[in-house]
Amino acid sequence: MGGARGVPVAGRTMTDARALETGVAPAADPGAPGRSLWHRLEPTILGTTSIVVLLVVWELLPRLITVSAGTKLFFTTPSQIAGTLWRLFATGSIWTPLGVSASGFALGLSLSIVVGLPLGVLIGRSRTLNAMLDPFITAFNATPRLVFLPLLMLWFGLGLEMKVVIVFIGALFPILINTYEGVRNADKTLINVVRSFGASEWDIARLVVVPNAMPYIVAGLRLAIGRAVLGVVVAEFFGSESGLGVMMVQAAGRYQVDVVFSGLIVFAVLSLAMTAMVQVLESRLTRWRPQRAGEE
Amino acid sequence: MLDEAAPRQSFTDKHRKVLLGLLAVAIFLAAWQAVFLVVPFNKLFVSKPDLIWDALVKLIASGDLIRDLAISAVPFVYGFGAAVVVGVALGIVMGWRERVSYALDPIMTIFYASPLVALAPLVIVFFGVGVSGKAIIIFVLSVFPFIFNAQAGVRAVDRLLINVVRSMGGTERDLYLKVIVPSVLPYIVAGARIAVGRGLIGILVGEFFAASEGIGYAIARFGDLFALDRMFACIFAIMVIAVVLTEGIRWAERAAFPWRAGQ
Repeated sequence: MGGARGVPVAGRTMTDARALETGVAPAADPGAPGRSLWHRLEPTILGTTSIVVLLVVWELLPRLITVSAGTKLFFTTPSQIAGTLWRLFATGSIWTPLGVSASGFALGLSLSIVVGLPLGVLIGRSRTLNAMLDPFITAFNATPRLVFLPLLMLWFGLGLEMKVVIVFIGALFPILINTYEGVRNADKTLINVVRSFGASEWDIARLVVVPNAMPYIVAGLRLAIGRAVLGVVVAEFFGSESGLGVMMVQAAGRYQVDVVFSGLIVFAVLSLAMTAMVQVLESRLTRWRPQRAGEE
Repeated sequence: MLDEAAPRQSFTDKHRKVLLGLLAVAIFLAAWQAVFLVVPFNKLFVSKPDLIWDALVKLIASGDLIRDLAISAVPFVYGFGAAVVVGVALGIVMGWRERVSYALDPIMTIFYASPLVALAPLVIVFFGVGVSGKAIIIFVLSVFPFIFNAQAGVRAVDRLLINVVRSMGGTERDLYLKVIVPSVLPYIVAGARIAVGRGLIGILVGEFFAASEGIGYAIARFGDLFALDRMFACIFAIMVIAVVLTEGIRWAERAAFPWRAGQ
């Protein structure tokens, strides 16, 4: 039953596959060896082309059709966005808000790892604890944490604490639930062997359970990063004094659409970069692991 | 308390889980209520279960809660409905036609990686504070699970089964009804489960930003009024709805596609 809870399998594969495969489509090999260069490069070429076409059409749109003065207020083009992005970095005006957002993100995510990992191991190992915490985990995981935002603003104000808490609530559950799933899937034989040699519960966790759960934990971490970024954005939209999100809301209010898109791009690049870092970390941490197919 | 052997769960075992869960909730509520016997209670800052319960009963009795929920449901239905139609159609095409997926995969990945909530202020400014702006936010947030899962579902269709149906003289209709739909549907329903959560976020974002009614607006307003009992009551209502929707879909998945229950 526990296997069905929380982060769903289909959802997880979806996120896993999406977050990283920028460009090369997964189904690149059905045409296997003796195919021509065109066939091998087709996914890349088509993918790049479609992005280029999208950008070009977007860029040319205001020149092809006449937009009314009112609509022009809301319209921007890729070149404008690129220029704004360049200006934001060149003048350095983006660093302060970016720093504020990044510290909220980093603190909240770290906190969720520190809490989520041990708690996940605990509920994975103890059936009683799992049964007792299950209603809370199910309820809080299903509920969009945004509903707590007005409450958290009352409790923690508009500063860093509120942001950290909202990031923490969002990022906690993917880590917690995935750790739990990974722990549940640990090899029973290995646990028994280690225990026969006199290992304590701590040793079991350290030697067998956590290393085994590592792929799950990393998958959870990837999901958590996405949610943490979302948390920062949302917290800054509704109740913060400074940060990248605040910059974007203010820009939207002033019809500076290019600034809004610039912020969006910075957020997207950051979350892609973080996800890529996690992937590197994963391959480091799981290097000892024998080939999946050769196991057992 | 460890369960290495994990024997097949008997009825009492399952019962035990529910009982323990209820016990934990009861302890939590009792502790919450009791803590204010020791700590001074400030109703502008926190609330207690009994006050929240009173507020909830009042909000339901006066019809305010139902009205707010009904108002919020309208953009949700439009946005989510559009996400189902567009997402499933696009996902199926992307899964079926390799070239289309080559062309669209990178764009979709980029969109999915961006925190699209960030476009909410723009959408509101552009489409106004009415139903359409919120419906668009909900659509944008909840369309991706449908696209990706429908695509994965089509990819997972067993080619062998298709060939078998064809060899046995099955028509296109048989192909769709007996092979393709049954294997894609579970993926779409799994996608719906994720999409519901994101859609709820969409409602709240839209209503926190700009609204004069609706459940998200109610929560924000009660917060501004320091009416914490009523705010908690609304939060509780959202929690119940979220759990009912997600767990309801999960239950439907298990009931309709028992062969996937293991996942």
